[in-house]
Amino acid sequence: MDPSAPIATSPAVAARGGGRPAVRASFGGYAFIAPAFLVLLAFLLVPAVWVFGLSLFRWDLIANNPTFVGLANFERLLLRDDLWWQSVRQTVYYTAVAVPAGMALGLLLAVLLDAKLPGRHLLRGAVFAPYVTPFVATIVIWIWIFNPDYGVLNALLGALHLPRPGWTHSPDWIMPAIIIYGIWQHTGLNLVIYLAGLANIPADLQEAARVDGAGPWRVFWRITWPLLSPTTYFLLFINLIGSFKVTVPVYVFTDNTGGPDQAAETIGFYLYQQAFAFFHAGYAGAISVAFFLLILAITGIQMRFASRRVFYT
Amino acid sequence: MSRRRAGLALRYLLAVPLAAAFLFPFYWMLVLSLNRPDAILEFPPRLWPQWQIQNYVEVWRFVNWPGLFANTVLTTAGRVLLVLVTSTLAGYAFASMRFVGKAAAFGLVLAVYMVPTEVTLVPNYITLSHLGWLDSYQAQFVPLAASVFGIFLMRQYFLTLPKDLWEAAQLDGCGHLRYLWSIAAPLARPALVTIALLQFIEGWNAFLWPLIVTSTDRVRPLQVGLAAFSFTDSTRPELLAAGAFMTTLPILIVFLIAQRQLVGGIASTGIRG
Repeated sequence: MDPSAPIATSPAVAARGGGRPAVRASFGGYAFIAPAFLVLLAFLLVPAVWVFGLSLFRWDLIANNPTFVGLANFERLLLRDDLWWQSVRQTVYYTAVAVPAGMALGLLLAVLLDAKLPGRHLLRGAVFAPYVTPFVATIVIWIWIFNPDYGVLNALLGALHLPRPGWTHSPDWIMPAIIIYGIWQHTGLNLVIYLAGLANIPADLQEAARVDGAGPWRVFWRITWPLLSPTTYFLLFINLIGSFKVTVPVYVFTDNTGGPDQAAETIGFYLYQQAFAFFHAGYAGAISVAFFLLILAITGIQMRFASRRVFYT
Repeated sequence: MSRRRAGLALRYLLAVPLAAAFLFPFYWMLVLSLNRPDAILEFPPRLWPQWQIQNYVEVWRFVNWPGLFANTVLTTAGRVLLVLVTSTLAGYAFASMRFVGKAAAFGLVLAVYMVPTEVTLVPNYITLSHLGWLDSYQAQFVPLAASVFGIFLMRQYFLTLPKDLWEAAQLDGCGHLRYLWSIAAPLARPALVTIALLQFIEGWNAFLWPLIVTSTDRVRPLQVGLAAFSFTDSTRPELLAAGAFMTTLPILIVFLIAQRQLVGGIASTGIRG
């Protein structure tokens, strides 16, 4: 299982050995890709196939007594499991708000910070920092920011004479809290990718439009936004996939409970709980398969859509 | 000219408050960590730190930070090193070596990219329990010791190296491995730095997988220990914040030093690691 082991077979010698058959000459290449391949096969590809088999068993991780049950797990999941459908709804809710909001904010900041603004690196860094800092360390702080009684956010809302929601203590407000955290955490990625997209737009196009008398608003919607469409589609894709996987924020924000009335149950968190809180490996396998198919469907739709729409006229 | 200046002012007017809002939680982390006990129960909350520096000492009584810190360093270093080795070797093979089935093998690598790691959690857990690796260091980084992005980036880099370089080295009796070690890999340093940075961040921040495969403080990383502390002791938020700040600081330092490489690396992939 040691990934570095195959290097010891001296690939350099094998490669120069130059035996006649092509396969013989290939040993060097095989030895070089072997460490990476062992890991990718053992821990990504094989599990991705195996999980389909796993989903056909009732398999308690503690007792470790797999029993073949056919499609019973799927029957229960799709027809009788309200919590699963709750997790699908909450995941869609999270995605439907966090993805557009995060992308719009990232685009706004990218347009603001694209110019040769003194201090722009500092401002970009401020927005990007949450993306690279640990989930747990930042969420434990956000939990106190959201505290309904003593939190700084409700202090601010109170000072503005706005209602003060129960945030993480309320079934209606826990998802908005996690969504706000998600937007805070993720906008930096959208910002830097939009900045890279903006850098690829030839400056003379916008300049020409300006010379023709178009205002900044018009230049943006007529030139910049259409030319950014490949970036937007790329971002939409990675944001959708990323937000469908949201798990750790739910775990930490809700103290591993799923929140009041399971209001923050997401697919990823439900999968985690079934597998590692209740040890239902087979059932978690069925959830994994459903989740996998969902992700593949998004990918498929995205690819079809992108190949048609990504080109501007 | 004055119109341009007005535009600049408008940009600042929008961008500075937004950026400040993004920074605020970090500031708040610092403020909370320097609060006196019970300050958290004041409402409205104090906006300035009380400079209770001893929180950073007291928090050591509750959690074995040096142990957790060492575990994080060890598993992160293991991950970074292994990914660098596997990416360099495979990237080089795909760029510069000839072997039967190369295109198919590369296609397979790219296909693996589509697999969400979430679906591998349960099978990998079962595999590790069969290997007897649960609650170990290697469980936390060996399954993550290869990166599709790393392989891809190294391949792209090696493809740009001039062919004569390899031919000259060959004339000197240099094999692939020696050429790679002494000539090609050093030339690919920017790519190696990018991969190392991304893997460092991923390794340092890793939470879900270590949470699943570890069960004791002996091998647990900082983030898992911090979450456990947060769940069991919610009465001392100033200590929790001090712990959070200590676990975030190394990332912030690396971020400040290497912001450009890091942003460039992430922007080119859209993913961490």
